[in-house]
Amino acid sequence: MNAVLTVARLDFAVWRRSPWAILAAVIPPLGMFILVNVLTLSVTVQPVALVIEDPGPQAQVVSHIIEDDTDAYKLHVTSLARAQRLLDEQRVAAVIVIPKGFDDGVARGHAVLDYTLNNVDIDFADDIRRSIDRSVAQFDAPQLGSSVEGRAGASGLVVPNAYRVDIAEHDLRTTDVAFETYQTLPVILLLVLCAGVLGGALLGSRDHERGTIVFLRQTPLGRCSFVAGRLLGALLATASIVVPALVYLTEKHVIHPPRGHWPPFLAVLLGTAVFAAALGVLLGSVSRRSTTVALAGVTVSSYLFFLGGGFTTIAFLPHWLQTLSLLVPTRYGIDGMRQSLFYADLTGVPTDLAALGGFALATLVASIAVLGRSVR
Amino acid sequence: MAMAEGMRALRAAARAELQQLNRSRVLVGLVFVEAITFLVLVSLFGLTGSRAPTALIQLDRGPLAQSFVRQLEEAHNSFSLRPMTAARAKQEIAQGEIVASVTIPRDFDTAIAHGRTVLVPVTVDNVNADMDNDLRGAIPSAIARFGEDHHFPGIRLDPVERDLIGHDTGYIPYLIVSALALTSLVVAGILGAVAVTREFEARTVTQWQLAPVHSGYLLAGKLVAAALVSALAIGAAALVVVLGYGVVPRHPLAAFGALALCVPMFTCLGACAGALLRKTLPVAALFFGLALPCYIDSGALEPLRFDGNKIWAIGHSSPVYSAIAVVEWGFHGFDVTPESVPQNVLQLAAWATASALVAVAVLQRRVVRR
Repeated sequence: MNAVLTVARLDFAVWRRSPWAILAAVIPPLGMFILVNVLTLSVTVQPVALVIEDPGPQAQVVSHIIEDDTDAYKLHVTSLARAQRLLDEQRVAAVIVIPKGFDDGVARGHAVLDYTLNNVDIDFADDIRRSIDRSVAQFDAPQLGSSVEGRAGASGLVVPNAYRVDIAEHDLRTTDVAFETYQTLPVILLLVLCAGVLGGALLGSRDHERGTIVFLRQTPLGRCSFVAGRLLGALLATASIVVPALVYLTEKHVIHPPRGHWPPFLAVLLGTAVFAAALGVLLGSVSRRSTTVALAGVTVSSYLFFLGGGFTTIAFLPHWLQTLSLLVPTRYGIDGMRQSLFYADLTGVPTDLAALGGFALATLVASIAVLGRSVR
Repeated sequence: MAMAEGMRALRAAARAELQQLNRSRVLVGLVFVEAITFLVLVSLFGLTGSRAPTALIQLDRGPLAQSFVRQLEEAHNSFSLRPMTAARAKQEIAQGEIVASVTIPRDFDTAIAHGRTVLVPVTVDNVNADMDNDLRGAIPSAIARFGEDHHFPGIRLDPVERDLIGHDTGYIPYLIVSALALTSLVVAGILGAVAVTREFEARTVTQWQLAPVHSGYLLAGKLVAAALVSALAIGAAALVVVLGYGVVPRHPLAAFGALALCVPMFTCLGACAGALLRKTLPVAALFFGLALPCYIDSGALEPLRFDGNKIWAIGHSSPVYSAIAVVEWGFHGFDVTPESVPQNVLQLAAWATASALVAVAVLQRRVVRR
């Protein structure tokens, strides 16, 4: 045990004196954090120009529907000429025109709402199409969405509308989690991955680069003790970066798990950290140059992060990728973290923990085999 | 005479750097992997942008119900409908496997045929506000299209769409092209930086002082070699885009020309970063970390001008902005910036020149200081 603690203490001391290694572990998650925040600005409202050419009351109604939908549009109410200029200058993504004679069209039952769309890609173009369809539906069916579903034997209330279909939306939770909060969670996971993988790997490659592996071979250390010590050192290195970040995010209420969910949340984090550190130790034993270790560490971390659902939702991926992600340990880490932080129950968390533990153990055994051989 | 000696030194430095890279095959291999990595990562991100996995619990299979389901399927790439039972839907939504469920009730056809309004229960896992907003917009959109399709009385307003571009472009084909600019930044940046940091770490940079030519020639030689290897990696990534993703460039000369311009520019930027850092260790992490925010804030997802003045102004601080503009024009024929393509090409050339000058200046200073 003493041997394990000595190796761990030594490795942690080396890590603390390696500012460049710490920087390398922190930069990718920091970049991802900035990305999430920038993305928050991109994924929300779309800039749209509204041209009202008919002064009639029906035109006013539809213009108010559009103006009030601040969740969908960042609106510029302007003239047709200026709207065209805004579209040409890419200051708006679409121009909606309520044409002359709109009220007459409504009276005849055939009014049109014209819009010109910059459709360079379907992501934002579809956002605008959906929003305009919703505004159009609201015009002829302002009562859309006001029906109430009957529950537990009680009869509901269906408010008739011109489209003959209404929706009864049932939200699973009382509040929506903001996009940036939802995505901050994977950033923490990326931090754990980068710190664990790079920490373990760089400590290993350093032994080869500085020739200290020769001294390690002379020491009366058991193979398992050495690997356990290195792993503990890498875990301490990871904790030295991750714990302050966690404390900060908890203080800011970004991390705010439901009552009783802290232990599973921390267990998932620990499982991920053990896996990452073991993988790092393995990588450091295989690759002996810090340059290649750093590049390989960042590449491996990014694959684990994205294939595990760090910046995606696994359910959105094609079936073959979903199957492939079953072999990606971080999938269980991310699933477990999301379940314990955002959901009321802990469905699937024991499975996630078991899978993470299995992957960590397998990587650990591989590390013991490879690293143990190199110090023998 | 001095020029001829300088050119000889440049060639020698390039040869030495190529030999060095030849000895670091793992590093070069990893750089090639990194080039493809970004394409994969961007594709994964693109897959999340649309078609939310949604359970369809269809209790009525009449023609009107089928028509409504079709409208849900065609609601602007909003849903990926997965038919299943209510019990299974409940289980999958609890496990986060699907994000919503839509139930077509038993009497759907009969009620609508009799002019009654049918209530469609929709359960939404509103864990993520962004996804939830998309769903909230998509269902009324499907309802509106369904009503218009069947010309129900009382529907007085129709939207009429005119598109600036004759065809829609999928999110992944759009993203993957801008990812090539990002790949250039990462690959050329890393190799450019490593070419310089290696000199500091091996302490051979002191020997540059003894060279009978200006250190700019030596640096240029090393960067030419780094740029050549980068060009190969980026070329491989471009081939993957063309052959693997089927995105054929509309203006091949512009597309590959822009990438060719990106390589020396980002190699010089890398050299500049390497001269400042003097350590190889954080180089890969730095370029990877820089690449992600740079990518988003350079118009990779949509024309950056849509995001308002501030974001647009910030985007101009990165050469990736102009690179994406030219590459998107080359591959898709799109103008994604208010600036014209020649203006963006000029900006790229200016970035390349400025980066080279800064790299030489920084390195010259470092050499003199040592």
